[in-house]
Amino acid sequence: MRTSPEFGFFRLLVQNLANHPYRNIATIFAFAFIAATLFSSQYLMNGAQASLDKGMSRMGADILVVPEEYIAAGQTVILSGQPSSFFFENSNYEKISRIPGVAKASPQIYIATLFASCCAAPVQMIAIDPENDFTIATWLKQNPGVKLGKDDMIIGSAIVQNVGNNLFFYGHTFHVVGILEQTGMGVDNSVFIRFEDAYVMADESELKAVKKLTIPQGMVSSVLVKVDPGTSPAVVEREIQDQVPGTKTITPNGLLNTVSGQLGAVRRLLNGATLAVTIVSIPLLGFISAMVAHEQRKDFAILQALGATKAFVLRLMLAESFSIALIGGLIGIGSAAIFFVFFQDFIATSLKIPFIIPSPIAVLVDGSSALFLCAGIGGIASLYPAILINRSEPYETIRKGKS
Amino acid sequence: MIEAIGITKSFRTNSSEVVAVNDVNLEVKPGEFVLILGRSGSGKSTLLGMLAGLIRPTAGVVRIHGNEIGNLSEDKTAEVRAKEIGFVFQFSGLIPTITALENVMLPTLFYPDGPGSRSRAVELLRKVGLSEREDAYPSTLSSGEMKRVAIARALINGPPILIADEPTGDLDVDTEIEIMELFKSVNREGTTIIMVTHNPDLVPYANRIYGMVRGKLVKDPESFCIRTWKAEPGRPVEKE
Repeated sequence: MRTSPEFGFFRLLVQNLANHPYRNIATIFAFAFIAATLFSSQYLMNGAQASLDKGMSRMGADILVVPEEYIAAGQTVILSGQPSSFFFENSNYEKISRIPGVAKASPQIYIATLFASCCAAPVQMIAIDPENDFTIATWLKQNPGVKLGKDDMIIGSAIVQNVGNNLFFYGHTFHVVGILEQTGMGVDNSVFIRFEDAYVMADESELKAVKKLTIPQGMVSSVLVKVDPGTSPAVVEREIQDQVPGTKTITPNGLLNTVSGQLGAVRRLLNGATLAVTIVSIPLLGFISAMVAHEQRKDFAILQALGATKAFVLRLMLAESFSIALIGGLIGIGSAAIFFVFFQDFIATSLKIPFIIPSPIAVLVDGSSALFLCAGIGGIASLYPAILINRSEPYETIRKGKS
Repeated sequence: MIEAIGITKSFRTNSSEVVAVNDVNLEVKPGEFVLILGRSGSGKSTLLGMLAGLIRPTAGVVRIHGNEIGNLSEDKTAEVRAKEIGFVFQFSGLIPTITALENVMLPTLFYPDGPGSRSRAVELLRKVGLSEREDAYPSTLSSGEMKRVAIARALINGPPILIADEPTGDLDVDTEIEIMELFKSVNREGTTIIMVTHNPDLVPYANRIYGMVRGKLVKDPESFCIRTWKAEPGRPVEKE
């Protein structure tokens, strides 16, 4: 009768690991913590960057013009979709349209909604001119090619509704005809309607809604600008600011800088956390490794007496260390990933950063780098015990440790 | 053949230098059973360590089958240990995390081209009377069983030399006899045995007997009082 599996290096390694459960669990936990911290940090940063990249390209315009005093609110609408209402003269739109280098200009009206039946929170309603708009239609995820008609509505990806549903805003019924792709930015929490319907809704609101909506005639909230091919947006931006006083421009680059600043603080926080965990962990893990080496030095010396080279013993030690590091790393990454499945939106909202799930390759790179760091720390932590074993006289160790 | 020429080992302590083995010359021919008697601290284990290439002599040379192991690299010395020498320690020296059978197979990892195999390990365990205990972990074995596993392990790679450091030191008299009979049968099959012990009762098992006194190897057993020991078994050495 024989039940032992094939015996070799791997079996020796597995048995060594299996026979020190408490020590290994503690070490695995430390590695899991390091990996989870690093992975979370990278994942959040990549998610924010991916969202930013997508959001910027989604913006579809080279320049967004808003009233001077509402530049921050304009950025917030784009980044988080936090409802806001502000206006400037429609004549500004006409002036902007005539500026040399402007290929297309499209006005928008921002309407902050009340709590609506569709949604857990107020959403940003944006009225557009479907004939002039060049930013919405190309990003339709469902029902591509659809054009806004009377009382039609296109909704952002975070509005949990289907094409064909009816939604009520200020007592007015809208019919969902399209859903936009997810961007992780403000547009996900926005709904788009026609100017004409916005005015009708405002007129009806006095009777139908709990609060009257006012959209001043001859006013718009922003103007989206597409510049001529070959024209520098910076030049057109300067022209707009010169020729249309009382306005401010928002560009994807400017927005990127703003968000990068916000992300920078978060990045520093997350990187700081990773660094702190790593710095604390290395001596801790080194100490655990030294304890393990001390505990196992007699066994290692016996192996040498039986003919093992120091390289074999070193390989066994490192394999133990790397195995624990990788198991811990995988557990940490897995736990962080599960956590993010449920809480990533909450975390992104709390950190006030735009966020979408990064690409699978980016997630793979995040996971690999976390594992790589764990393996590196495992290797560094086992250096001292490895040197200790390497310097010891095996026979002296055996005799001192006899039992 | 194993040969030690003028080997010395000294250790430096804080205040002085301790000579553990002092200018020892020894030649052991194939098939011999050599017993080295000596009290604790006499240097006999250090001598064994040097013969096995586990301790580097401060002076002198050790040759195993003509190869001077002091001149070999550490890897080469390890290879000599794996191929040429089987080691039985005073304590069992079994790895606690693996089974008896796996412990016996352990040296095959270091001499993969040697005669050691799972079937040979099973056979050796049968030979030492432990065929029913091959899946047992060391913690569940008695001292005698552990020692027998250690002997099987020492033989797995078919080494021509078996070195044993006080292999019966912690055993009762009956188990000691069993183990010594095992050594004797291994020796009869052609394996050279070098054993150190403090127990003069084991003298009858050996072909040749040496004494170890304060790091010196003494050829004449009379000079370190074997008869005194034999007259009073277990009594420590009183005169040298």
